Amino acid sequence: MKVLSEIELDALTEVFNVGAGRAALSLSEIVGEEVLLSVPSIEILKADEVNDRVLTLKDNKFATVSQLFTGPFDAEAVLLFTKNYALEIVRDMMGSQMSIEDLAEFEQEAMCELGNIILNACLSAMADMLKISLSSSLPSYTMSSPEEITARLAEQGRDDSYILVLHIDLVLEKHHTEGHLIFLLSSTSLSKLISHIQQYLNNIL
Amino acid sequence: MSDTSLKKILIVDDSKVSRMVIKAHILAVHADWIVLEATTGDEAVAMIDQDLPDYCTMDINMPGMLGTDAAEIILSKYPGVRIVIFSANIQEAAQSRAQQLGALFVAKPVTEKSIAQAIGYFTGATGISGSGSAGAA
Repeated sequence: MKVLSEIELDALTEVFNVGAGRAALSLSEIVGEEVLLSVPSIEILKADEVNDRVLTLKDNKFATVSQLFTGPFDAEAVLLFTKNYALEIVRDMMGSQMSIEDLAEFEQEAMCELGNIILNACLSAMADMLKISLSSSLPSYTMSSPEEITARLAEQGRDDSYILVLHIDLVLEKHHTEGHLIFLLSSTSLSKLISHIQQYLNNIL
Repeated sequence: MSDTSLKKILIVDDSKVSRMVIKAHILAVHADWIVLEATTGDEAVAMIDQDLPDYCTMDINMPGMLGTDAAEIILSKYPGVRIVIFSANIQEAAQSRAQQLGALFVAKPVTEKSIAQAIGYFTGATGISGSGSAGAA
């Protein structure tokens, strides 16, 4: 397992930062308000160190859209919103004349589409910067507790010793809500990603 | 006009890679410019009183103060500084804030092309300074 050098970690953060910027643009166009972005944080952890502290999730239920991206490396991208607000976002997306009750019917589909737009905006920016091509699976939508989310992450890392957790908060002030963007890479994929980061650095420096 | 005097540029970005790339591209075109660096908006604001730059590139999303807030403080004290807001946050809100401040907004990633845009703004000669002359036809 290669450990990231300071400059590689910096470059990786910057690549994710540009990706998150594209994601925030898509989200802001959907909800019609500015999305405040946190500075991304990256942690490389052993699978058994992944717990809800790592994800800093304060609520107890999250609307979770996840999508697998495959290519030179594989990554799982996860978008989390607190449950009640997820429906409000869906309402903004579909037109505000619908009631929250009516919207529940479309929740699954709309959240998948929302996740698809946002996660692809992010990943495509990264793919462009790294000059690679990534394809995405269909998005899947579930309601999860932080415990369920971390259990899934730990599970994923079982055969690998490390997992990369990238965390960016997306704050919608008008909606009083936060979304979280999380990327997970196994150590095999992480090694491959690092080699692309090195190529990227060689090209720009 | 003081075209012959040394120009000073302050690069504000929490990403070392971004600072390195911006610096390298700027020095490739203007080898004589003096390059200063700051890693946060707060640091930039503290620096300018000691060492006033002619130009400044400013990231938005950094630990502590937002880059746009730092740019506002700098421009209110020193309206003559030309600032380029260099950001991955490409939302309409960020772009119009840059405009209101009287700064140029340039989208990240930092590339030769985006830096050429910034340099064009600094020298007030977009199209003359090295890259693409808008000639012919």
